[in-house]
Amino acid sequence: MKRRTITKAGAVAATLALSSVALAACGSGGDSDGGNADGGASGDITPITMLVLGDKPTNGRLEAMLDELNANLREQAGAELSLYYVEWADWQTQYNVQLLANDGSVDLVTTATDWLFAWENAEKGAFLPLSEDMLKENAPKTWEQVSASGDWDLTKLDGEIYFIPEDNYTQYTNHGFFYRGDWAKEAGFANGEITKFEDFTQYFQWVKDNQPEAYPWDVAGANMAALTGYLQGHTDAITLQGVATGNYSIFETTKSDPYTISSNFMEGDALLEAAELAKEWNDMGVWREDAINYTGDTREEFYAGLSGADQHHTQTFLTQIVNNMTTKQEGSGPKMFYFGQENGNIFKDLKTHGAMAVSAASKNPEKALQVYDLIRNDQTDYDLLNFGIEGTDYILTDDGKLDYPEGYDSSTDALGSNFWGGRMDEYEYDKVTDAPNKWETYEALDAVAEDYPYETLVFNKDSIDSSLATIGGVLSTYLPQLMYGKFDDPAAAIEDMRAELAAAGYDEVRESLQADMDAWASEQGLK
Amino acid sequence: MTAATAVLTELEPPPTRKQTTMRRLKQSRVLIVMCLPALIYFLVFAYGPMPGSWIAFTNYNYRDGIFGSPFVGMKNFEFLIQSGQLWLLTRNTILYNLAFIVLGNISQIALAIMLNEMRMKYFKKISQTIMFLPYFISVVLIGVIAFNLLNYDTGAVNALIEQFGGDPVKIYSAAGIWPLIIILFFLWQSTGYGSIVYFAAIMGIDSTMFEAAAIDGASAWQRIRYIILPSLKPTFIILLLFSLGGIMRGNFGLFWNLIGNNAVLFETTDIIETSVYRMIVSQNNFTSSTAVGLYQSLFGFALVMLCNWIVRRMNPDYALF
Repeated sequence: MKRRTITKAGAVAATLALSSVALAACGSGGDSDGGNADGGASGDITPITMLVLGDKPTNGRLEAMLDELNANLREQAGAELSLYYVEWADWQTQYNVQLLANDGSVDLVTTATDWLFAWENAEKGAFLPLSEDMLKENAPKTWEQVSASGDWDLTKLDGEIYFIPEDNYTQYTNHGFFYRGDWAKEAGFANGEITKFEDFTQYFQWVKDNQPEAYPWDVAGANMAALTGYLQGHTDAITLQGVATGNYSIFETTKSDPYTISSNFMEGDALLEAAELAKEWNDMGVWREDAINYTGDTREEFYAGLSGADQHHTQTFLTQIVNNMTTKQEGSGPKMFYFGQENGNIFKDLKTHGAMAVSAASKNPEKALQVYDLIRNDQTDYDLLNFGIEGTDYILTDDGKLDYPEGYDSSTDALGSNFWGGRMDEYEYDKVTDAPNKWETYEALDAVAEDYPYETLVFNKDSIDSSLATIGGVLSTYLPQLMYGKFDDPAAAIEDMRAELAAAGYDEVRESLQADMDAWASEQGLK
Repeated sequence: MTAATAVLTELEPPPTRKQTTMRRLKQSRVLIVMCLPALIYFLVFAYGPMPGSWIAFTNYNYRDGIFGSPFVGMKNFEFLIQSGQLWLLTRNTILYNLAFIVLGNISQIALAIMLNEMRMKYFKKISQTIMFLPYFISVVLIGVIAFNLLNYDTGAVNALIEQFGGDPVKIYSAAGIWPLIIILFFLWQSTGYGSIVYFAAIMGIDSTMFEAAAIDGASAWQRIRYIILPSLKPTFIILLLFSLGGIMRGNFGLFWNLIGNNAVLFETTDIIETSVYRMIVSQNNFTSSTAVGLYQSLFGFALVMLCNWIVRRMNPDYALF
């Protein structure tokens, strides 16, 4: 009898233990990474968590840096910072799900109006509205600098500030082709410089004929540049930010008629011209026959001399491509052709391409702002967070440039703190690995690039969400094929696509967006 | 019922319904405690989130939460119908799943029987392990393997065709053969793992039946036909009913990694999950995705109830409930 009781008791205990494990598992929140083991436990230290985008580094350097940074922050603000990573795999969903949870597990949220759904999340109440007093009191330096630049208006929704812009950091994320100057010269271009989108046909043909190992442009998967690059340089279209349809953004205005919304994907001949050029390239064998399904690392192919071109933005070119190509393909003379180069149709980065919001569920919003003010404006804290520990993560050369210590390998030793919501030009170092003509490039772009005119225009998509999804579905069945030149008759395909877009509610969507545009324009006194 | 309890029930006044329930609960309390982890699991992960499905009928915002946000009726379901693809997607999803279920179970049974018939112990163990392996390979890798086998420029299959003097085939543009390819990859990945249940069921068959059959001079084939297959029937039907519940759920990972954005193949390969993913990937739109999930779940629920009802009419022993 007694033995039975013991057995029973054991069974009950085991069961309860199991269930509590199951419950505990669902209660533990994410892979938030405390900087210090005793952080938060001590009475007066407030833990602050910042959500950043990117793959969480595992080389231990981040933790070492946070240890040092937190020693400062404890003293300066009585707080400790830890980072919460939304990793690149499926980041669109994960980012929004994390905000949807709204459970107070993050205090500071990296955001952006053009790629991180800042307006949508502000509208849905994920961010805390920041009052002027709150900012003045807790983030005085930030308040002063953003006010001096006159940029708070860029972050206001219904008159309230919802995030802090990274408005004092120079970068260009305009896209274009990277290609090899040595090959372009042999292909017949003076100084190896290609200045027109169509001229790439000649360059690609030369690569095809003379570099049998290489694809003229090894491109993979979701790339759209053959269409969008052409459209940018052959029309005066301005793509509207914040109205995604699936993976694409098709709604535009034009420089000649800046307050009327239209789309090259729906009207005009430019799309057909682009698609015909893409078909020509496809028939030439510029890319793999099955490029749409290819998932390889095409940048590595470019570095290895197996691709004649690569495609991304200026920042990538200046900070990675030039250094890698000059060391890995000596004498290749890497160059960049940026889309819109022919007609000067390019735009500066939004000042809210990076921004920082305070979560609506944060338990310590004031403290979060205090920490933010320090990591944005205190040079010691800034250097630690952005570059790491001097001597192990980076070194400064005699002429004040940032270099890496002996044996440092950027692919395994990177700090990965990914602070993209408050970098400041005055605290940034030129890197030894940067392209030598970085500042000339910026100056040249500054001379032509314009400010995106609609930075404060927020679209209300409640009534058109379902049509936007349907339009995204239609686009996803046509655009990849058009981009890779896979339709035998692009004209017929575009006609079909436009009919389907119309059926999916294109006109209603356009009208709804136009109404928002009209209201905004009259509010701003523009129309 | 033992004599003692029979006497007891005669002496006591007939118990009320409530008392019987209480007594039954008390009698089986150890069993109930043992069920607890599973019950908690389902409460937390299956029943707990259910009210949240309400989000599918709202225009959700963080401030008001799921139940405070404005009610919008069926608006979030509209895009499914508006796209005009719903029928194609539902058809593809169901046909693929039917193929997976039927062919999957047949090959799993066949494999289990073959393993059972093997006499060399080491060969048996080794082949079982090898068949098991693909199950643990990520679908992302399967996508890469498929590309390296099938692509036009450098694919192994086309290299082979060229070796024998043929012209390379543009497999990634031929929608017609992809159902076959997808099903083959699915079977390759799942058959080894799935055969375990059937193998275990075969192990559980009363060995006296095999002895009797041996004495009667039954051949190996007759043993399979008249003993093993009939004994596997209940297992088969239970697994079938289980898998029917998921018939509207596509194998997103496999399809996305094999097909991706290749619209040429969509006619025969687009399923609900992949299509919806493409539509709302960057839309920050939880209400529409919940609407789709709800549509799939309700359809699957109805299907399981229907099939179970049919099975129960035919043979109540085989029904789930």
